[in-house]
Amino acid sequence: MSERNPEIVFVGQPNSGKSTLFNALAGFKAQTSNFPGTTVTHTHSQVIWKGRVYSIIDLPGTYSLTPHEPQEKVVLTHIFKEKPDLIVNVVDASLLCRSLELTVELLELEYPMIVVLNMMDLAEKKGLVIDTAGLEKRLGVPVVKSVAIRGQGTKELMDCLEEVLEGRKKPSAIKYSSEVEKRIKRTEEMLPSDFPVVANRRFTAIKAIEAETLAVDRFFLENNREFKEKLDQIRRELSSLREAPAYEVIMAERHHLALKIFEECCRVRHARVSLLEKFDNLIMHPVLGLFILLLVFASLFYLIFKVGSPLEAWLLKPWEAWRLGIQERFGSKLLAELLSGLIQGIGGGVAIVFPYFIPLLLLMGFLEDVGYLARAGFLLDAFMHRFGLHGKSVPLFIIGFGCNVPAIMATRILESKRDRLVTALLIPFVPCAARTTIILALVAFLLGPWWALGFYFLNLMVIAIVSSILSRIFKYSSPGLILEIPSLKWPSLRNIAQKTFFHLKEFIRFAWPILIAGSVFLSFLSFLGFDRPVNLILSPLVSGLLGLPESLGVTLIFGFLRKELSLLMMFQALGVSYDQLLGVISRAQLLTFVAFVNFFIPCLSTLAVIWKELGRKIALLSMTLNLTVAFLVSWLIRIIFSLF
Amino acid sequence: MFGKKEYQPGLGQDKEGTRSLLEADEGQVYQIVEIKGGPGLSRRLMALGFHRGDLITLDVEAIMNGPVLVKNLTNDTRIALGRGIARKILVKPASKNE
Repeated sequence: MSERNPEIVFVGQPNSGKSTLFNALAGFKAQTSNFPGTTVTHTHSQVIWKGRVYSIIDLPGTYSLTPHEPQEKVVLTHIFKEKPDLIVNVVDASLLCRSLELTVELLELEYPMIVVLNMMDLAEKKGLVIDTAGLEKRLGVPVVKSVAIRGQGTKELMDCLEEVLEGRKKPSAIKYSSEVEKRIKRTEEMLPSDFPVVANRRFTAIKAIEAETLAVDRFFLENNREFKEKLDQIRRELSSLREAPAYEVIMAERHHLALKIFEECCRVRHARVSLLEKFDNLIMHPVLGLFILLLVFASLFYLIFKVGSPLEAWLLKPWEAWRLGIQERFGSKLLAELLSGLIQGIGGGVAIVFPYFIPLLLLMGFLEDVGYLARAGFLLDAFMHRFGLHGKSVPLFIIGFGCNVPAIMATRILESKRDRLVTALLIPFVPCAARTTIILALVAFLLGPWWALGFYFLNLMVIAIVSSILSRIFKYSSPGLILEIPSLKWPSLRNIAQKTFFHLKEFIRFAWPILIAGSVFLSFLSFLGFDRPVNLILSPLVSGLLGLPESLGVTLIFGFLRKELSLLMMFQALGVSYDQLLGVISRAQLLTFVAFVNFFIPCLSTLAVIWKELGRKIALLSMTLNLTVAFLVSWLIRIIFSLF
Repeated sequence: MFGKKEYQPGLGQDKEGTRSLLEADEGQVYQIVEIKGGPGLSRRLMALGFHRGDLITLDVEAIMNGPVLVKNLTNDTRIALGRGIARKILVKPASKNE
């Protein structure tokens, strides 16, 4: 074996639990959920097993090896370029029949391979009895059972990895029906000598036949007309065999192989309709389901507020007492100012994170892992059409309520470029956990829960209006909804906790230090009187247009980093504590400011991700769009309030 | 269930009862006869495990011209399909012995 660490790739269909298995092996790194398309780029990890280092790569889910969606291309490119030492094909055992189609296709590569039957518990519940030994024999590769969310099967997998890598045993592809196989053989023989062979000649030949209607085919035509003509002849022959296009004939061959293997190695004991299925029918009911959806989200926010609000008040108390104590003792010396800035920064973080941020992330994680997001997409599809989008965007928006960044990355699951663009431009308007926290912490805490609810509603209205406008600009040519609905499952609480911890760590590592440093820095600036020039420059905007106290100008600078920081620094800038805020600014001013900051340019990480995913132009467009909306909405709030 | 079914001229039933998925009755078992529309669509549906000859049933039809929820009985998967796509899938009632 070569010097480098053996490289192992995880390949499987979306939502088969690759990332969960990967995490079980590698400690928490990848994002997982019960929603297809969570992994959009690959995640890399080193795992040590019995003193040996393995490089494990978690690739995005793919239904087949013919690329349709961007994340599927990631898989192909990786497999062909990096030439992994071993493929681990992760399979959702409860969907064994369909998943085997990809397994059959992967076997055609003839790379060393292991099949992992994940979610065995779910398969058993469905009444599937899988003959693993039979499957092993039929596929010619080792099969390992696992329940990744409970960490079962990881040891067996690692042992199996070691064994297969030692043996370097390559499987051989399962043959199609002889009529089709004959044509593949002929294609193999006529491959030009300069033809780039990937994996092996048979695989290359199959892919060449399948390339019909794909862009590659044009390339064949331009470069080797003779080959292309012969290839077309073979395609015509295949086509007349089954009265279907050649690519469909090949895909149907795999489908039938998968069906056959499934029937040979798997028995279905007819399970009665389980309670879970009945429940599923209820929440998917065309009318009732919508009410339930509304109820779920209303109670989600109600619960968070109910828990968060008293907790926030209680958590704020000691910090406030300290701050007042320091002010009393040292007066307005530099040190005292800095110390009280520090305390406000730390206290602000504590009062946000524990009462609101953690519960919100936990509950969102729960909805995600249960499999509710795709269902929400189905239920709201018709509704979304009114705003020029379709249901597949719904889960992305809901993910956006947790954090905008993964939501934007997951826009890759949208097939149409236009849908992707519109959705990505809209996601920054979705209040993420951090912003929701602020809305709850400020608006609900100071003005009452109904105001917060109203603000949320306004937020959704803004999204709907912007969406309508955007879809008029970018004309509608969407292919329509195709969305897999994963089965409902009881999520692993450990997985949700890990996911929450992951976001929390980001907040503590990135946002909180900035918050504290920013708070201290602001104290320092105001002590020196340097905040005044900044405020003066921004004054026409802040006080002229929006009618806010001039001193809030400087906080907007921090809003570039993370929007919620602007709001938190409001206290520092205005020089008051939390519960005295309404003594200094009016209700209208508070709402105007919250609205402005909420719709203000996307936070730094969101902007960076838009830039990376969709390019610089779109990032700039997104910035302009957000700023325009922020001005319009907050200005409107000001005007409306001045009328009453 | 709710909302009226659109009538598609030229796509009516023939003697085998072939119709578009939109005209299928909820809960009945059908067999996929053909996936019309471009290669992009049929490739995608096949990748998701929906092939010619598969047995399917219409689970739920959303209101307000919303999508339909289709269950593939052959491989036990479910997908939601927009109306425009459901219209392009031709099905016929499955015979009892299949």
